[in-house]
Amino acid sequence: MGARVTRSAFYAYRTLAVEAILDAVRRRIVMAIAVVTLLALWLVRGCAACTGGSYRVDGQLVDPGRIAGFTGVALYALLALWTMTLAGLLASDHLSQSLHDGSAPLTLARPVGRGTYALARLSGSLAVALVAGGVLLTATAGLLHARHALPLGPAFAGAAVCAWGALLVAALAMSASLVLPRLATFLCVLGFVGFVTGVNLAARAGAPLSGVSGLVDRFGPPLGSALLEALGPWIGRTPSHGPVPGLSPRLVLWAVASVILLVAAFRRVEIRS
Amino acid sequence: MLALELDAVTKRYGSRRALDAVCVSLPRGSALGLLGPNGAGKSTVLRLALGLARPSAGHVRLRGLDPGDPVARTGVGYLPERLALPGRMSVRAFVRLHGRLAGWRGLELTRQVEAVCERTGIADRADDRMAGLSKGLAQRVGFAQALFGDPELLLLDEPTSGLDPLGVRDAREWIRAARSRGCSVLVSSHVLSEVERTCDRVVILDRGRIAASGRLEDVVRRGERLEDAFVRWVRG
Repeated sequence: MGARVTRSAFYAYRTLAVEAILDAVRRRIVMAIAVVTLLALWLVRGCAACTGGSYRVDGQLVDPGRIAGFTGVALYALLALWTMTLAGLLASDHLSQSLHDGSAPLTLARPVGRGTYALARLSGSLAVALVAGGVLLTATAGLLHARHALPLGPAFAGAAVCAWGALLVAALAMSASLVLPRLATFLCVLGFVGFVTGVNLAARAGAPLSGVSGLVDRFGPPLGSALLEALGPWIGRTPSHGPVPGLSPRLVLWAVASVILLVAAFRRVEIRS
Repeated sequence: MLALELDAVTKRYGSRRALDAVCVSLPRGSALGLLGPNGAGKSTVLRLALGLARPSAGHVRLRGLDPGDPVARTGVGYLPERLALPGRMSVRAFVRLHGRLAGWRGLELTRQVEAVCERTGIADRADDRMAGLSKGLAQRVGFAQALFGDPELLLLDEPTSGLDPLGVRDAREWIRAARSRGCSVLVSSHVLSEVERTCDRVVILDRGRIAASGRLEDVVRRGERLEDAFVRWVRG
């Protein structure tokens, strides 16, 4: 065979990632995602325009720009969380299905590492979620910027948080799918994103947190708080300083750890089909 | 060096022993038939050989390496019993995909794809989607991906399943041709006559244990057919 044959793991990854993306795009759920995305775009168009007029809170006139900022944060964060959940939903059977239908064993009989295969499948589900999320977030940021002059910097930071969060949720969902059925995995995704975000929001609102909730807020993946931090400038807050302003290092660490967990878990899986 | 070696391998699934202290060795260039009734552990041997499962005890070496190491699987062709062909892909795209996964690229990849499609009799259906293929044609596609790039080791699980008599004859020729260029072959099959024609050594498994193993003439008595020897070894 000699020089015509390469043992590059990246070459195998690229080949499998393209296949995984095509597999993901051909799923029936992608049509539903496209419809939901279009519907969300229509709602965003409406919401981004609903801050006209004057507002009074406790008799005080509130700056319309501040209202626009809060609306922007709520809208953008909601769409970012939807993107993360979608990544988890798509990942909840993208790897396990290939184990059940017999395509994984045939591929893994080739000189392809388990890690390469798992990462390629993760890329496939993540690509679809990020394209859908990217369309929504770009349109939202563009509308908020055009109509209310909200700066684009926080939107970029929020998009980066969303991408890392989607990677984290997708990798955890894919790991869970190796031991749980699809529906249970999806419910875990919903519960995980909902609980972590809820705890983060409660902590930012000043609620006293103890026990598991307190630990999750202090040490867990900061899905909600990282988003609020990134979008803070829209409501007059200064973002934290780091390698990427507004991007939480803890979130990046959690995402990397989730990917490592996925690769380690898949290496231990016994393939029986 | 051995192409494949299982040394005192035990494999448990929960409390069930699929294999019990099994020793199998496949010298380079030889062809080994793996025989046994349903549930004897034949497919488990293949899964262990490819690193898809890990032994509970004992050691497996594929081309002298741990089968979990992707390098060990370089130059290995595998035809599973339950072949999963993605219906959305064309025959050519599927064979090409496996050529790429085997590490081939560029013009040589294209040349090999066309050559193996021609050799396995699927060239005129190469642009068809696999969703519409008959079982026999699907099995030929399976052979095409397994034979891609002239592998050094072929692992075939029920290779003649779904093939018509002409296909069975072709499959026999492909295995013989592979052997003639030095390829090692492991065939797991229920079709004893095919094993008799293509292999020089056999291992008979029964309930996870080796009932008999060795060269064909050591396992089969003079004047006896392999089928009779199989029944004798399995039923005792």
